[in-house]
Amino acid sequence: MKYRLLAGSSTLVMAATLSACGGSADEGGDGHTTVDVWLMRDSVSAAFQKEFVKGFEAKHPEIEVKVQIQEWDGIGEKITAALASNDAPDVIEVGNTQVAQFAASGGLLDLTDSKTELKGEHWLRGLAEPGAYEGKQYGIPYYAANRVVIYRTDLFEKAGVDAAAIKTRDQWVEATTKLNKGKTQGIYLPGQMWYALGGFIWDEGGDFAAKSGGKWKGALDTPEALRGMEFYARLQALGKGPKDADEDDPPQAQVMAKGQVAQVISTPGGANAVIENNPGLKDKLGFFPIPGKSADTPGAVFTGGSDLVIPAAAGDSEEALTLIKELTGDTWQKKLAVAMSYVPNRTTLASAVADDPGASAMAVGAANGHATPNTPGWAAVEAENPIKDYMTAALVGGDAAKEAAKASAAITRAMNANS
Amino acid sequence: MPAIRERSAPRTPQHRTASGPPGDSPRRRSPRPARGYWPYVLIAPAIGGMLYLLAYPLLRAVLISLQDFRLRQLIAGDAQFVGLRNYRTLLSDPRFWEVVARTFAFMAVNVVLIMTISTLVALMTERLAKAGRTVVLCALVLAWAMPVVAATTVFQWLFHSEFGVVNWLLTSLGFDSFDRYPWFADGGAAFAILVVLIVWQSVPFAAITLYSALTTVPSELYESARMDGASGPRIFRSVTFPMLRPIFVLVFSLEVIWTFKAFVQIWVMTRGGPGDATTILPVYAVQTALSSQRYDLGSAASMLTVVLMSGVLVLYFRQMFRQEDDPR
Repeated sequence: MKYRLLAGSSTLVMAATLSACGGSADEGGDGHTTVDVWLMRDSVSAAFQKEFVKGFEAKHPEIEVKVQIQEWDGIGEKITAALASNDAPDVIEVGNTQVAQFAASGGLLDLTDSKTELKGEHWLRGLAEPGAYEGKQYGIPYYAANRVVIYRTDLFEKAGVDAAAIKTRDQWVEATTKLNKGKTQGIYLPGQMWYALGGFIWDEGGDFAAKSGGKWKGALDTPEALRGMEFYARLQALGKGPKDADEDDPPQAQVMAKGQVAQVISTPGGANAVIENNPGLKDKLGFFPIPGKSADTPGAVFTGGSDLVIPAAAGDSEEALTLIKELTGDTWQKKLAVAMSYVPNRTTLASAVADDPGASAMAVGAANGHATPNTPGWAAVEAENPIKDYMTAALVGGDAAKEAAKASAAITRAMNANS
Repeated sequence: MPAIRERSAPRTPQHRTASGPPGDSPRRRSPRPARGYWPYVLIAPAIGGMLYLLAYPLLRAVLISLQDFRLRQLIAGDAQFVGLRNYRTLLSDPRFWEVVARTFAFMAVNVVLIMTISTLVALMTERLAKAGRTVVLCALVLAWAMPVVAATTVFQWLFHSEFGVVNWLLTSLGFDSFDRYPWFADGGAAFAILVVLIVWQSVPFAAITLYSALTTVPSELYESARMDGASGPRIFRSVTFPMLRPIFVLVFSLEVIWTFKAFVQIWVMTRGGPGDATTILPVYAVQTALSSQRYDLGSAASMLTVVLMSGVLVLYFRQMFRQEDDPR
């Protein structure tokens, strides 16, 4: 059964790369090389992608860039199949929670030699560390982002709420309750946004998993983690977010674009997606950092982001490296950060987005940034995701402690399945 | 089955047709079959395709199940043989046994429902007038023709917590507790929805097959049974079922295989969740192989699935043949 699936996905991958080879087959004629790049859904906007490809090809006329946008859902299996095939794409964007297992797999090109040239000493740690394995660098930091609250300035005004004054969780809940009247949803928080739950758990001093005696163990059933879930439930009730879905199903940007939602938790780039779906909201979106328990600490957030990797099986690794150098270099990093409201991959570039309201809200939260457990075993947890099941079960009135113990056991099993 | 002993009549016509008209055999033997390579050439693509698509993956899976085969080995290709270690790991894992038990429960519930419903549908169709029969057969064929993933997606939408028609219906009937009720968050509910889906998808094939078999039963048999004063259920037990036993065996075996390997529906709908509530063996194998990158354990689980499924069928066939060989 799994064979058929593996074979199926690898055939797809092969078909994709074969057709790409069709493009590069004529490279003998005019000296072109095609670089196949896999980027993730919403990691770049269509406009930025076009601008980058055009700019890059103008500077490197011998290289043709072919970008394929991949969906996050099931991406781990797709990358696995690509790495195991003989004809992988040349550059792949990998989420920072997943890159560790691929770095450890031996299927990626060792890029340690380019570290100095790429100014590796200034890389964001949350991106550089998962991309390294046993002292060698496989993943090159691409961009980072963390979640903020995107809110509707007009709805806040109408309800008489001042967003700038929301500094603590209690104030946040109070404001959201006030907003959650009539047709307006105070906040659209789907039941399975586990990155947001992570923030609330870190606020309480808990974590998804903890290492003890060299073995990772699920920690959702600790009192700290349970308090985090309690707050999540309180917030979730102040809107009509489905309890059994995550933010991609339906895409929360589309839900917000319909106009009845006062707040969502999202990376600032999510605002672009809202406006894309409903241009009428263009000047009606604002940002503030996720409030913490007290006014002097912002809420803890998950530092998300991506690395760029080159598969060992890539056909044109030299050209791939050229592309990575450009995309992670000063010029395009600054443009990308501004276009997508991202944190650039190096601390020295942070000033590029100082004027952006979304990015500055993000920067406040980034000071309290956290990561998922940095171990190859974590990817298995994400692939099965017992956390989502747990959240739904707790939200629909199940015994949170019992469900948390069950989910923790599942996390423990998944993290240690490969050892 | 004592019923057969009382009425052995239905069996005889069948034996006769099976052996064929006696005058047939000498004629068939006389021309020597054409020897030559052509038949083999013509059949080679089919055999080759089958070997490549079935035999080769099966052999590879057997090999991988005896190796230490993870992500690193998948990419680099230097797997070591470890004997039966993977099988030992699996067989000593209580979670694996839970999955096995769940698989059998899932199969049993599905097959019983499918066989019962399709038999009833077939019997009903036979009794309908022409117009009604056409409508029922059309409905069956249409349900059968629905692509699996499309049907699964529709079921997912039916039971959607927010926009699902089931919740809307139940709420408007006054069951307010079903307002935005998340069906797939509850293990039992998710399991039940999958059973409904799979039964709905399997009934058409079974019902049409059984119906077409029913039409071959000579009506004189029913007449004489009725004259003997047999009731409806009795006629089914003593006339219909014995006559159609080979077809029942066939349909039953196919449905066992079908439900044992029902993977697509579960993967699309629940991915084995919530928790492990809908994880049956094929789902478990894929999860182990792809999510945890333990291709070796996944292959071993697939092998055990094949063994277990064959076991069920062997048991069933033995039972069937024993009844057939019963002295009358």
